[in-house]
Amino acid sequence: MDEHVHAWLEAYHDGELHGRRLQQVESHLASCKECRSELEALQNLSALLQESPSPAHLMPPDRFVAQVGLRLPRRQEEANRRGSLNISWRAIPFGLFGMWAFIQALFIVIDLILLGLTFGLGDLLSQGALISLNRNELLLWSIGLNIGLSMVIGLLYLSWLVSWWVGRQHTQNET
Amino acid sequence: MLSPTATIEETELDLITQAQQGDRQAFGELVRHHREGVVTVVYRLCGDANMAEDAAQEAFIRAWQHLPGYQPRSPFRNWLYRIATNVALDVLRGEKQTVDVDALPLAASGPSPEAAVENMERAEYVRQTVLALPPASRAVLVLREYEELSYQEIADTLDIPIGTVMSRLSYARKLMLEALASHVEV
Repeated sequence: MDEHVHAWLEAYHDGELHGRRLQQVESHLASCKECRSELEALQNLSALLQESPSPAHLMPPDRFVAQVGLRLPRRQEEANRRGSLNISWRAIPFGLFGMWAFIQALFIVIDLILLGLTFGLGDLLSQGALISLNRNELLLWSIGLNIGLSMVIGLLYLSWLVSWWVGRQHTQNET
Repeated sequence: MLSPTATIEETELDLITQAQQGDRQAFGELVRHHREGVVTVVYRLCGDANMAEDAAQEAFIRAWQHLPGYQPRSPFRNWLYRIATNVALDVLRGEKQTVDVDALPLAASGPSPEAAVENMERAEYVRQTVLALPPASRAVLVLREYEELSYQEIADTLDIPIGTVMSRLSYARKLMLEALASHVEV
């Protein structure tokens, strides 16, 4: 009789053997009572384990799913992303106001320089390039640009306001 | 034409993708589909139905949190079982182990007037014997005997080498065969 196959019996029982090893174990089992009874013990054990009942009195699937749903936390990165987006979104009006204030300050400085040129500062800077330009034209150009940029900023703010209002209505409908 | 299994797998993959993007309803469908398997695994590991349901819920919550990192290279069921096994082992670490195989009642091996009663007693004895196994070996035994996972799937699920799967399974069976000798002898 060839060597016993104790070491391979469990793998054979679990269907994990293939090819030559499988044939070797099968042919040995056909002739070895000892290995056959060991395999039978493993099979009996599996059958005995299968007899053990599944958990009884489980809650209905719908209730289980609902309970899991209630306990689901908001994903951290999702919360972080939404939080940072929210902060950026709310910061837009402040940014627009800051931009408008900066433009106003810039034009005030420009206007002051032009006024200075009108009241004689130009004589001190007689070699400067500005002297060659028409001061009235420059003043009009400055006022026009100021109004134009302010209107653009105003339009951006209005767009933000409309988006905010639409988003708010959408959230209210969801809840 | 796609086989029904392939269609189910594709549907599951769609649900997983949606759930990864934060769709709670899609995740609910995944929970519904895998609830029984996950609860059973946890129940076989911890032996208490209420505890099993709580731990299974905890496993699904962990799965939700880690779902964005899930790669569909391994089956979703195995990935869930891995989480469920870890949760069950965490629960068991928190609970004091009270089952001692030597202290189990011997009634199961004796004759009983009613066959049904005897079967129930035997099933209970087997359940207690499984619970008396060391948790690491118990996890391997449960995944093999009840969930019928292959050695490779168990190795992937528990993140251990195949050799460890085989040695733990062998150890668990050795203990079970000793404890249940009168029932399995041929």
